[in-house]
Amino acid sequence: MDKLLRKKSYIIMFLAPAFILFTAVLIVPIITAIYYSLCDYKVNTDATFVGFQNYIDLFTKDPDFATGMKNSLFFMVFSCITQLIFGLILAALLTNIKKGRNFFKNVYYLPCVLSSAALGLMWYFVFSPKYGINKIFEGLGWLERADKGTQWLSDTSGFIILPIIVISFVALWQYVGQSMMLYMAQISGISKDIYEAASIDGCSRTQSFFRITLPLIKPMVATAMSLNAIGSLKFFDLIYSMVPESMRGKNGGAHVLATNLYEQGLRYSKYGYACAIGIVLLVMCLLVTFLINKFVKTESYDM
Amino acid sequence: MKMKKFLSLCLAATMTVGVLGGCGDGGSSGGSTGGNDGGNSSGGVEEITFMVWDDLDASSDLITQGYKQSIDRFNKDYEGKYHCKVVSTNLEEYYTKLNAEVAANNTPDVFIVSPGPNLDDYVLPGTAAKLDSYLNADGWKGTFTSDAVFAGGTYGAEAKDGAGIYAVPLNIAAACVFYNTEMFEDAGAKVPKTYSELLDACKKLDAKGYTPITISAGTAWCLSMVAGYLCDRNGLNLDDVYEKKTDWYDAKVIKAGEQIQELSQYFQPTAAADDNDVATAAFYDGEAAILIQGSWAIGQINGSCEPGFEKKVGVFAFPAVDGSSADPNRVIAKSDSLAMSATSQHKDAAIALIKYFVDDTAQKYTAEVGGKIPVTKVQYDESVAPPELAYVMDVFKNANATFGFYNESLADTEAGSTFDSCFVEIFKGTDPKTALKPIQDYYEANVWK
Amino acid sequence: MKIDVDNSMVEKDKTKRKVVKILIYALLIFLVFVYILPLLWILMSSMKDNAVFKSTPWDLPKSFNVDNYVFAWTKGKLGIATLNSFIVSTMTLIIALIVGSMAAFAIARLRFKFSKLVLTYFMIGMMIPIHCVLFSLYTQFASWKLTDSLPGLIIPYVAFSLPITIYIMVGFFESIPNELFEAAVIDGCSVPRLFTTVGLPLAKTGFMVTGLMAFVNNWNELLFATVFISDDSRKTLPVALTKFVGPHSTNYTQMFAGIVIAVIPTIIVYCIFANQIVEGLTAGAVKG
Repeated sequence: MDKLLRKKSYIIMFLAPAFILFTAVLIVPIITAIYYSLCDYKVNTDATFVGFQNYIDLFTKDPDFATGMKNSLFFMVFSCITQLIFGLILAALLTNIKKGRNFFKNVYYLPCVLSSAALGLMWYFVFSPKYGINKIFEGLGWLERADKGTQWLSDTSGFIILPIIVISFVALWQYVGQSMMLYMAQISGISKDIYEAASIDGCSRTQSFFRITLPLIKPMVATAMSLNAIGSLKFFDLIYSMVPESMRGKNGGAHVLATNLYEQGLRYSKYGYACAIGIVLLVMCLLVTFLINKFVKTESYDM
Repeated sequence: MKMKKFLSLCLAATMTVGVLGGCGDGGSSGGSTGGNDGGNSSGGVEEITFMVWDDLDASSDLITQGYKQSIDRFNKDYEGKYHCKVVSTNLEEYYTKLNAEVAANNTPDVFIVSPGPNLDDYVLPGTAAKLDSYLNADGWKGTFTSDAVFAGGTYGAEAKDGAGIYAVPLNIAAACVFYNTEMFEDAGAKVPKTYSELLDACKKLDAKGYTPITISAGTAWCLSMVAGYLCDRNGLNLDDVYEKKTDWYDAKVIKAGEQIQELSQYFQPTAAADDNDVATAAFYDGEAAILIQGSWAIGQINGSCEPGFEKKVGVFAFPAVDGSSADPNRVIAKSDSLAMSATSQHKDAAIALIKYFVDDTAQKYTAEVGGKIPVTKVQYDESVAPPELAYVMDVFKNANATFGFYNESLADTEAGSTFDSCFVEIFKGTDPKTALKPIQDYYEANVWK
Repeated sequence: MKIDVDNSMVEKDKTKRKVVKILIYALLIFLVFVYILPLLWILMSSMKDNAVFKSTPWDLPKSFNVDNYVFAWTKGKLGIATLNSFIVSTMTLIIALIVGSMAAFAIARLRFKFSKLVLTYFMIGMMIPIHCVLFSLYTQFASWKLTDSLPGLIIPYVAFSLPITIYIMVGFFESIPNELFEAAVIDGCSVPRLFTTVGLPLAKTGFMVTGLMAFVNNWNELLFATVFISDDSRKTLPVALTKFVGPHSTNYTQMFAGIVIAVIPTIIVYCIFANQIVEGLTAGAVKG
């Protein structure tokens, strides 16, 4: 048996396709992207090595990148916190009921599997001042004229502008189901005996949630949080489909890192510069995962 | 058990894909596809690619539909010899995609382009072919209205392939002010000749409950078209800016910014978010009284509005600014032009295609149906042409000079986008001097070196 | 005496619990509305005439109008886009499952020194945002003339689906009891047969989960598809949808029909497989 499973030819045969594909389409391009990010490389010019110039320009001279960084960091912090809170609350509520649990769970998870581009367009219309919720407010008499009400997706005042806040709530709406599922999976994995023992010891339900459930799902908090953080740093679809073009164009207030990348790479065809943005994004993702796992994840308990 | 169902579904899916794939293969050997592979012919048909910024099949824009007719005629007349394959994108990402094709050595044989920095991008490095020899053959050039129509496509020694003409114009659009005559009458507003009269007309329209002006700041170039007019009417000379005789903090630009802010009280409340389509629709739907737009709007009005609406539409030239010495008879004009790839393997086919866009049938269509100004000496029936065209022709004939859209007339495309975005900021209420900093900085870093 | 007190305590506790339960259900049902209402609004509006929508956007539709769907499907080119999305997602799913589960089987069951290292190597992929390879892949694919083609999307999609597929499948292969393999080996099974007859059938839940995840992710992917595809006849659904409001058109209700077309297939798949997706995800997640 051991000999059979150690046969090199089979190992190579089984591993090679995935290994080659993965390396050629993901690892090699990352290396070339790192190289391009150090080059002046535009559509009509060949790549010429310029050292860290692109990165220096990014961090010192590019107001759009600064906006993108600000908004992306906001998305990350917002989604980590709100998804943790709401995901946990939903998970706790759903594990406490019997009737309809599956139904509720399936409904809340539904948007996770739907196209963000389509949902983004949907919310774009919901927040359209002329036809969306402002129209309802008008009908209720709260607004005199719908289109003169709050400009949900084009107001640009404040440090974090309104469209970004609106979209972060839409993202919460769309993805909280995923956090909920992860926490529920972990909670349902906790042995009933522990709760029974606790209740015999006079522990109330609320108490046992904080004393037993929370500590036991801590490793999952780290997993879910990393997923949220990376997901929100990569954020593109909702911005692309919800805010007006001028706000994700030059000097647009609703930039995130991914729209920076899209604009520089696709609209101005500055491939080297766009690659530099991509590499910054990569470093941030790795850093955030590392930090979350360092500070949130503790040793996992045996359940 | 459900697993089985799923697997069988997968299997069915695979089979469908297989069958479809098979169909596709069969199709391509028939010679109708071939992708962007340089149009290698199969079965003796030379295939050329044509890239355009609108969906030829779905668009209700009459000019676009005219392009489709030209291509259809070309394909029919040259059946068995040439075939034109259309690659379409939407306007917003057109140059992006075109650049990508160029970068990949996939330049379409013929592509549509606006003269200005966009065309520079293809002429200067030698992507677009010099067309003089074709234009001079068989008196083709003589069919055009004048040599002046080629101005935008003419380059000097700075082009890699030397001085000459690099683009053939298809039609000319002039940016005018369209207004709803019924609303003007109802409000007792007069057609304004000056900026203060424009404000006055807006005031009256507003008092009657109409939205005076519909404009898009969600699509930045729309707002910047008005900004361009205001800068020009205040006397700004773009060449002076380019040569650093003045800068973007010039009092004329600041004044234009203040005027945008003053006008903005008469914009529709959702102007900041509305894109060009939404903003123009508000005029076409009879919700707003004034639309400042290129004369391609005529093609849209006649293509998609309620029948009869076109009778309510009047046109006037952008008003002068009171007290400014600038020439008030300057018009923003723009021509769609065609360029040919310098590396095209099928130059004869490409030229043949271009000729179909400027032959009498196409140019008559341009005027009579599309409502744009034709570029050849074609005789068209003025009684059939949309009434607005006559107004636009008047504006155009009275013009002492034309100038380009500002975002297509600056140092490069990124400068154009920066200019657009500065005026969006001004519109949103930022103090003009503060809002103009990005364009000033951009010129300092990239242009005035 | 003492018993009485206990009883009333229990009663009090019971009513308290009931109230809490009602509150919980009220909250959950409210949330269901938050989730379903916007979707229903779009569905209803998609049946309206554009002018009717513009004047009364929140009223119920008076009649069922399929014109919007016909337009979106044919002239709006969502029909061809649906087909493209289907081809891309299905091909990706099939290739990713085959290639991924083979690698996972090798990592989990075959014995070689660097199996942990190989797994880690693939796991790097889970932390890489695809954005950072976007333009280096794009320029490369453009020079190979793979942009504007469906294989040009399928190849990167497969590569991006591999890490999660391998990750989950390794978990499933590892959970298969060793005895089963031993028995098969004694019966004279070769390694490929071990994979197909013992490994695959016992890891079918894993197949299901990873397959559905790959399908859904690629069905919805926008960024790569926008950059890689510009030819209308090769656009996938999300791209075609975001470009649907072509120049000079404001036919919102046709757009709504487009949104419905884009989400309906996933909703159907989800309704059929919701429990499996949920169970599978749970299994996959707990393994991790």
